[in-house]
Amino acid sequence: MITLKNIHKAYGDNEVLKGIDCTIPTGSVTVILGPSGSGKTTLLRSVNFLERADAGEIILDDLQVDIAKATQKEIHELRQRTAMVFQSYNLFKNKTALENIAEGLLVVKKMPKAAAQERAAFYLEKVGLAEKAGAYPQQLSGGQQQRIGIARALALNPDVILFDEPTSALDPELVGEVLDTMKQAAAEVNCTMLVVTHEIGFARDVADHVIFMEDGKIVEEGTPQAVLNTPQEERTKQFLARFISYTEYNI
Amino acid sequence: MENIIDFAFVGEVFFRLLAYVPITLGLAISSMVLASIWGLLIMVLRLRKIPLLGRLAKLYILVGRALPTMVILYLVFFALPVVLLIFSDATGREVTINQVPAMVFAVLGLSIHTGAYLAENFRSAVQSVEKGQLEAAVACGMTWQQGFRRIILPQAAVFALPLLGNQFLTLLKGTSIAFMITVMELFGAANVLCSENNRYLEVYLVVALLYWAISAFFEKAFFVLEHKLAFFKRGMKP
Repeated sequence: MITLKNIHKAYGDNEVLKGIDCTIPTGSVTVILGPSGSGKTTLLRSVNFLERADAGEIILDDLQVDIAKATQKEIHELRQRTAMVFQSYNLFKNKTALENIAEGLLVVKKMPKAAAQERAAFYLEKVGLAEKAGAYPQQLSGGQQQRIGIARALALNPDVILFDEPTSALDPELVGEVLDTMKQAAAEVNCTMLVVTHEIGFARDVADHVIFMEDGKIVEEGTPQAVLNTPQEERTKQFLARFISYTEYNI
Repeated sequence: MENIIDFAFVGEVFFRLLAYVPITLGLAISSMVLASIWGLLIMVLRLRKIPLLGRLAKLYILVGRALPTMVILYLVFFALPVVLLIFSDATGREVTINQVPAMVFAVLGLSIHTGAYLAENFRSAVQSVEKGQLEAAVACGMTWQQGFRRIILPQAAVFALPLLGNQFLTLLKGTSIAFMITVMELFGAANVLCSENNRYLEVYLVVALLYWAISAFFEKAFFVLEHKLAFFKRGMKP
């Protein structure tokens, strides 16, 4: 279980997160929705300290981190227990697909080389890219790169995987394969998934829990049915009305 | 025509000067190695904004690039003995300036000068690699150092090599200044030959040829190395 308590973050005078409180149960898929600039990505990046929030608490099972006083050791432990999938994939460009997945296992998990490669191959197979093991990121499509990004996160067997708009940089044609990979991961793997996305369809089909954010605050949260079909807040209704009118075509 | 260029003399000069090529190369290569390590260190201090040291690094880059190589060389040559004097006063161990070969001063001075340029070259190279990859490295649990060394540096090296090559050629020719602090390298030896024989054109033609040949060799070498390090851009194993 991961709990965020009263997270605050400001860039100068611009307050991006205005006290976020939420609890994400172990093994659940939680989708964070919201308009651009609502602070979704900043919130996600605060969890593994890629962005250092100003105040608040992050509690991951037995690991309790007070953001304002977090030590390097705590940050490092938090990062070792989480993994992230990025909007722009951020694969290691000097490593092959297989090496990208094996890298964390070798360096962070200190696995022997053969075991790390075997495990990397297993996850590469899982995302359907076994034949691309020796390819460098430069030679792969965006969708393939992102699937490798997902395999890289899964292979670490983290408690939580943070997805930061994983399909936003993709061609519309390639979005499907990445969403399918995520769905498959959600079904097969028992780790918690925290997903920032604009894919309402994905939220409806896969999420256990939906959080709607706006202007640095959580406006509404609940099951996908509750938030997406019968939203209570005016702002959520507005947002969904605009979104669903055009996403409906895909569904 | 034979009065202008004495070809027999050209041959003689060529072989006599060839003996000094290793000294020039030694100066250039050892300064380059030192300056690279030093420049890398300075760059990291700046990049990570280490308190105080980061500021000192910035100041050094400013000063190191502002002074002519010759001024730095003279400063080292005349300041280091003073430092050594203080050192022997403090420890009671006798270290006199005569024990330190002039070559050491030259390498130090050239390294200080080149290191300042390299620090900036390295910074631009490191910043050319997408920041996201370092984020990905730390997000999966690596330390900054691990991510920097395993992911960023190998890619930055590809960006840095053309700049490094440039800097090396500048340094190679800069070694001719070492003659000013009594290091007998290629250019210094040439000057001596000139005054011994009272002939200038042949000697400087040979010197020019030698510098050109060395430069051409290293230009090619850097190009080959750059191509090798960029294996991941071509999608082939090294």
